[in-house]
Amino acid sequence: MARTINMLQAINEALSQEMERDDRVFILGEDIGLSGGVFKVTDGLLDKFGEDRVLDTPLAEGIIIAASIGSAMMGLRPVPEIQFADFITPAVDQIVQQASKLRYRSAGGYSCPITIRICCGAGGGSGLYHSQENASWFVHEPGLKVVMPSTAYDAKGMLLAAIRDPDPVLFFEHKSLYRQAKGEVPEGDYTVPLGPAAIRREGRDLTILTYGMMTQLSLDAAEEMSKRGVDIEVVEIRTLAPIDKTTILNSVRKTSKVLIVHEDKRTMGFGAELAAIISEDAFEDLDGPIMRVTGPDVPPIPFSPNLDKAWQVNSEKILAGIEKLAAY
Amino acid sequence: MASKSGRAVMEPETEKSSRSPELLLSLYSMLVKCRMCDEKARILFRQGKYKGNFYSGVGQEATEVGTAYSLRKDDWIAPSHRDWTSNIIKGAPLKFCFAQLFAKVTSPDRGRSSPAHMGYPPLHVITPASSIAAQLNIGTGVALGIKKLHQDTVVVAYCGDGATSFGGFHEALNFAGVHKLPILYVVQNNLWAESVPLRLQTALKDLSERAKAYGFPGISLDGNDVLSVYDAAQTAIARARAGEGPTLLECKTYRWYGHSEIDPAKYRMKEEVEAWKKRDPIVLFEKQLIDKKLLTEAKKTEVASSITKEINEAVEFAEQSPYPEASELMDHIWG
Repeated sequence: MARTINMLQAINEALSQEMERDDRVFILGEDIGLSGGVFKVTDGLLDKFGEDRVLDTPLAEGIIIAASIGSAMMGLRPVPEIQFADFITPAVDQIVQQASKLRYRSAGGYSCPITIRICCGAGGGSGLYHSQENASWFVHEPGLKVVMPSTAYDAKGMLLAAIRDPDPVLFFEHKSLYRQAKGEVPEGDYTVPLGPAAIRREGRDLTILTYGMMTQLSLDAAEEMSKRGVDIEVVEIRTLAPIDKTTILNSVRKTSKVLIVHEDKRTMGFGAELAAIISEDAFEDLDGPIMRVTGPDVPPIPFSPNLDKAWQVNSEKILAGIEKLAAY
Repeated sequence: MASKSGRAVMEPETEKSSRSPELLLSLYSMLVKCRMCDEKARILFRQGKYKGNFYSGVGQEATEVGTAYSLRKDDWIAPSHRDWTSNIIKGAPLKFCFAQLFAKVTSPDRGRSSPAHMGYPPLHVITPASSIAAQLNIGTGVALGIKKLHQDTVVVAYCGDGATSFGGFHEALNFAGVHKLPILYVVQNNLWAESVPLRLQTALKDLSERAKAYGFPGISLDGNDVLSVYDAAQTAIARARAGEGPTLLECKTYRWYGHSEIDPAKYRMKEEVEAWKKRDPIVLFEKQLIDKKLLTEAKKTEVASSITKEINEAVEFAEQSPYPEASELMDHIWG
């Protein structure tokens, strides 16, 4: 039975059901137990599963991840939470030097099946250190899987797939989608495989490659453009690493025009890698430059409402990008 | 001048371990084995038999052997870069230890990690990384896993004096204190973090004092006295196994050589080095055993020649093993 719930409820349900199904699964992080999480994603889990499996941790991201890595080596399936993506930096040593390399450096002698849930993204007024969308940092590190769902259905199915995955998965959750992304979600167990991108809208004239919060904005822009006679395909790259080149390239070959849309900053962002892949593998199929609509290269997202608004990628910026590219 | 044997911040509550003659001789043989393997590793490096680097633990054997000797096969060791001999003490076949130095396909990690960064998964020795204190953090995670799985195994995690300044050291020990994890943290205080002397590392006299901040016992002791180390480790391990939580052991010791084989260690005073060499942990223990009439010159020769034979066979195995094929490059990235 499916019913309409939001992404936050979908994630809570996935955690709860997986903890019931598999007693190796436990969750840990800051404020996840007694308070149920700053966004209430883990609400009710402490009451249901107790302190042994829902750990309110010391305020120290490094050991949250290290404790997860070590217990994953013991065969457990920890799901640590990083409260805000902005606070992941103290844990980068553990994620990049340990989690991503452990299997390789031991030639498979050890593995690290952890799923790091990370709340990310601009929430409208959250300011400098509660707003970053930095998933692309980790795409650079082989050995890590990086995912970011944009629908409630995918959030549940991909989280279940992530927890069951043999590798470390960084599961980015966009805070603006927690309550905004609503949809039909089955009550029972199902997985959405990590890897495949999703074609959210088919079209012939132009491909938008996007992910996360930008998916719905891109779909809205595509709808608007269809009224103006431009038929847009929207591909959601819900797994950033490893990347689904096949779906991306097939779409590019069909439409010959590519607009990349992401919330993260522009320079060396995920879009740069997409552009490189397309140039290498589909150069002959292109009928215009690969273009980008992205967050600006401003160090943090500023707090004042006007500046915050100016920072955000919105429908107008996407429409302007589409028009520029469609003119080729 | 180097400090003498450390003051115990908290006396270990040992009933003196039953020190049978067999145990004493086994400890002795293991000390000699570690020394001989380590010296052989240095020679092989200088002969250009393998590349990279080696971080000798010569001088620190009493700490290594005393803390790890009595571990069970299913207990865990989280070594740092200077603890290659942890693998030997834990029981990893010597041939694999030397294959590791040579980066051959027969090494436990098929030539992936650097020479001194050996782990041995079958006996739960964690493959180390270079990040400072990382092994304490990962070891703490393993200890959390042990607790969650209701096992009675323990973790022994090593670091040097330098790593105690690192934030991750604090995070690991604090977490272990909160959860009363089954782990023994061993700080091998050899007075130098690469070229930085202890006085520039910390204002503390005894590094075990740090344990107070985490709510579990800390003990400073003479790291060149294998029996003191052994007894303190036995107490700590028993405590961990019984679910009573972690212990921090500071073993005051000294590395005879540079930080690595390419470090001539000119920053140290000759007098300091010579004074510590006079407190050679193996010679100190030999004297005790000879006094107890447990060790003779003949027995010493027998121990050494048996180890020499084993080392020679291991080195031959390592030399004759092939390197991994280039086609392996992309293996073991994903599960």
